[in-house]
Amino acid sequence: MTVIESSTSLDAGVMKKSSRIQVSRGMKTMIAALVVLFLFCKIFVPDSTSKGAVLGMLPFAAVLAIIALGQTLVIQQGGIDLSVAGSVSLAVVYVTRLPQQHDSQLWKAVLVALGSAVVVGVINGILISRIGINAIVATLGVSSLEYAVIMAISQGSPRRTTNLLNHIAANLTLGIPNSAIFAVLATIMVTLFLKRSVSGRRFEAVGANSHAGFAAGLKVKRHQISAYICAQILYCLAGILLAGILTQPTAYQGDSLVFPSVTVVVLGGTSLLGGRGFPAASAVAALFLQQLNQMVLTLNVPFGVRTLVTAIALLVGIALYTIRWELVRERFSALNSRRSVGAAHV
Amino acid sequence: MENSPLVLANISKNYSGVAALRDVSFEVFSGEVHALLGENGAGKSTLMNIASGTTFPDSGTIAVDGKNFEKLSPKLATSLGIAFVHQHPAVLPDLTVAENISISVPKKFLQSHGSTSESMRAMLHDFGLDVDLKERVGTLTVAQKHLLEVAKAFVIHPKILILDEPTAPLGQESVDLLFERVRMITDEGTAVIYITHRMAEVRAIAKRVTVLRDGKFRGTSLVSEISDLDLLTLIVGREIESTFPPKHDGSATDKEFLRVENLTSDEFFDISLTANRGEIIGISGVVGNGQSAVCRALAGIKSAQGTISVAGKVLGSRDLINNVAYMPADRHGEGLMMSLSVRENAAINSLIKFRSRLFVSRSKEVNTVRSSLNSIAVKAPSMDALVSSLSGGNQQKVVMARALLAEPAMIIADEPTQGVDVGARAEIYSILREIAQKGIPVIVASSDAKELEGLCDRVYVMSRGHIVEVLDAEAITEEEMVKAAVASTKLIKQDTSGTAVVKRGGSIRRFFKGDFIPPIILSLIMLGLGVYVHGKNSRYTSAFNINSMLLLVTALGFIAVGQTIVMLVGGMDLSVGPMAGFLLIIASFFVQDGSKMTSIIFAFVLMLVLAIAGGAANGALIRFGKFTAVAATLTSYIGIQGFSYLLRKTPGGFINQNVSAKITGSWGPIPVAFIILAVGSIGIEYFVRNSAWGIRLRAVGSDEESARRLGVPINKTVITAYVLSAVFAGFGAVMLMAQLGVGDPAQGTSYTLQSITAVVLGGTSLLGGRGSFIGTLFGSMLLIQVLNATTFLGLSQTWQYLFQGLLVVAAAVVYTTTRSSKRRK
Repeated sequence: MTVIESSTSLDAGVMKKSSRIQVSRGMKTMIAALVVLFLFCKIFVPDSTSKGAVLGMLPFAAVLAIIALGQTLVIQQGGIDLSVAGSVSLAVVYVTRLPQQHDSQLWKAVLVALGSAVVVGVINGILISRIGINAIVATLGVSSLEYAVIMAISQGSPRRTTNLLNHIAANLTLGIPNSAIFAVLATIMVTLFLKRSVSGRRFEAVGANSHAGFAAGLKVKRHQISAYICAQILYCLAGILLAGILTQPTAYQGDSLVFPSVTVVVLGGTSLLGGRGFPAASAVAALFLQQLNQMVLTLNVPFGVRTLVTAIALLVGIALYTIRWELVRERFSALNSRRSVGAAHV
Repeated sequence: MENSPLVLANISKNYSGVAALRDVSFEVFSGEVHALLGENGAGKSTLMNIASGTTFPDSGTIAVDGKNFEKLSPKLATSLGIAFVHQHPAVLPDLTVAENISISVPKKFLQSHGSTSESMRAMLHDFGLDVDLKERVGTLTVAQKHLLEVAKAFVIHPKILILDEPTAPLGQESVDLLFERVRMITDEGTAVIYITHRMAEVRAIAKRVTVLRDGKFRGTSLVSEISDLDLLTLIVGREIESTFPPKHDGSATDKEFLRVENLTSDEFFDISLTANRGEIIGISGVVGNGQSAVCRALAGIKSAQGTISVAGKVLGSRDLINNVAYMPADRHGEGLMMSLSVRENAAINSLIKFRSRLFVSRSKEVNTVRSSLNSIAVKAPSMDALVSSLSGGNQQKVVMARALLAEPAMIIADEPTQGVDVGARAEIYSILREIAQKGIPVIVASSDAKELEGLCDRVYVMSRGHIVEVLDAEAITEEEMVKAAVASTKLIKQDTSGTAVVKRGGSIRRFFKGDFIPPIILSLIMLGLGVYVHGKNSRYTSAFNINSMLLLVTALGFIAVGQTIVMLVGGMDLSVGPMAGFLLIIASFFVQDGSKMTSIIFAFVLMLVLAIAGGAANGALIRFGKFTAVAATLTSYIGIQGFSYLLRKTPGGFINQNVSAKITGSWGPIPVAFIILAVGSIGIEYFVRNSAWGIRLRAVGSDEESARRLGVPINKTVITAYVLSAVFAGFGAVMLMAQLGVGDPAQGTSYTLQSITAVVLGGTSLLGGRGSFIGTLFGSMLLIQVLNATTFLGLSQTWQYLFQGLLVVAAAVVYTTTRSSKRRK
């Protein structure tokens, strides 16, 4: 050991201590965007930042954030999960249909919903990771099967939410909507799992490079399947909260959440090609997107504009992280210099 | 004197400061074989890449037929008559043998035996390759693929033919045939450059030989005038800059510690090795002779038969995976998680040890990892720096830190100093030596013989998957290793049985794995379903119901055909549904009752233009913006929907009745539009199978990299596919005009899912490269039939969802599992 140290001690800097908190590029971008958005709203669309508006927006941001956490886990493993539609709707139907507005039956319904979520996650994971089916095809198919269950249970119309669930999901604690507290807790748990638990760290490594994970002896497929299972549990939680918030939900509640969930994951800096996942950034991006919606809604512009705003947000989000801007800049400066050279010749 | 078609003069080439070639001159003559010898990294490949235009020299000139060039391009080189058979053939696995030939061999060279296919058969037969021309190349063995590549180069009768290690995957019979062909083509006047590591082959076939070493010219001679020994001295003797730690002073008390017996797999045979405590074992050989496969087997991530024991304990595959630390040669692909930090990479195999209660203890991890990183002097800005920001040497040290932290039973290092600077090399050698002294067996595979000479206590030399020499103590010299490798005449056991199977009953087997089985299965299901539903409700087969079903099929069918085109190039278009809906909205403004003829024509032109623009935008985002297909088309999915709602908030704008009537015009119970779709599908099927454009389309989807090497314009092909997909969505929109009769912004989106379902049912591979439009047509028909049947059977929506979900999942499972064996490359 001494030999090595003496031979290299000249320029071997002692490893600097690891800093405790690291903020990803996606997180920085999203926080900055969120601050700018709120300031913009405050000045130009003050109605969208009134207390009522924010309290109305937060629960939906919370639901989207929890779904985005799950979607992040799947996307970071190089997959994509379009079964959000079926899964959220299914959870909504379970917790409204099964208890029939009896509070005492609610916990059973929640257990059924969670159990069903795990089953769906296992099916997704096996189809995609073991059998090797394209993630889009598998999750679309599974979503369709979930809708079959939804129709069988509800005939297309869920019941009213039980009072208890409504209280749990929609009440305020210390002035904060409970759903938002749930979302924060879920974000903390997912982040803790990824950053601090042994399996979470391995999960991240497999997502970052599954070949290297395999070469290092990690159980790649098991981690990939677990992504789909954890995601389903989170969608289920989101669905239950949504049922509580809405009190009179439809059976298709999940449909409108599929693409926003992918959008916010991308905005948060997780690549659709897989790699490192940034769940907390996805959650912040969910808040951003919801507030953006809120602003556009307050401006009373048509639904088309709102949809376009989402598309543009997604476009900008992807472009921000995938286009290699330094190359573009290089090319442009090369073009400019060539032009000036040409001009000099003239 | 003789005519020399290629003269390379004073060529130099640097790669980021490292000289790959220094002032090398090289000349070949017509009608003879010129062998190019040298160790790994001697510069042979770089020189030939310059000759074939894939690499540009920093200085020097290339003279082809007396004309001087500063550099060549692949296209220019081809037009000058230079053909290069690479070691790794650029084949398109999903295309047939005939298609693989026709994509790169101009037709004029395929007329020797009358018809094109006869000529193709003859050119393959010349190399003993008697495979069916309709066979997919993906089903061929490695040797057969290689022979195909060789045959393609020979048939164009190039002026200069470069063969890079052409015998590596071949058995004796094929080697003999190849040599015979090489002699024949040189008799015709072709100059052949033959890159090899094998003395025996040089003697067998070459007239002249040139040796490179360290990027420098070492000498040229007539083969008949130089002895093996003289050649060997030209090859070896690389200057070595690194210093090595002292070797193990093996005392008599040393006991055998590691024992590997008869390890065999598909890539290596009967590998047996032993190591004493404290020794470093080397595996030498030319790159690609099975060394890496042996490493993977020892690390437990490649299955192999045989026994491996450490300290008397036999290790099963799970033990190997858990207890053997493996340092892969491909650091970027397999060694490190480039997007993770130094700390995370180093700790990944020892997290359990840092755990206290539920979580990984931060202080334990940080302290242990840091002391390990410091002990091997990893230089990094901090432990949180991304590992990708480190130099090659420091990256490799991170891999070593990971291995050390895991306290392994054995360490396997494959090419541990590849891409590592000189200073770090010496450190890596010292670390490996130290690990060995601690009593952990260390096995190092390297193509750098000098490195093994300096580092190892025993070296096994591999050639074509066999151990051909064991060197101990004083015998461990670069010279001995190179001698063993170049003198080897071992050949791999070429799998010729495949040829026989392919020939016999090939057409039947191919048919069952082919693209036309799905339509047959689907039509049987459709027939059965039809009979069953008719039994329950006879109105099901009424002309009216058949007509309305077929109209629905037509709308979906057009959109799905477009989706199929995109999937053939390995993409996916999520925006087809909203695109069809959007174009319907456009029509609803201009094709109303009372609209003028000019307005109606304008509408159709506008729809076409918008479709082309939308498709081009998708394609451009994917090719130029580097978006994934899902990201790009998802963005346009949402965006197009936004435009639809901007134009119409609620349904409105009734479509002109006369136009609707024209669109739905029928011929008996069969809508004319459906006949157009059916004939169109067959036409596109034929076109994609037989035209050059169709072959290029599938080539891109089958293997983009190979397609690029074969000169297929990737960007143009992919963008065209997305444009066509949008245009077909437009045809679908025309059908929707008649079906819905009103511009409704909520309509259309569901066609995305349905089109994907139809394509999957039809057996088109989502991986690209293979599929069938007829299959897609039948897929659309089955899907619509099932949805329609549920209403006739009085079944609830539950069943509709159930059938739709089951169909797509079942089809995907069936097709994926029956084809999976072929896709693993």
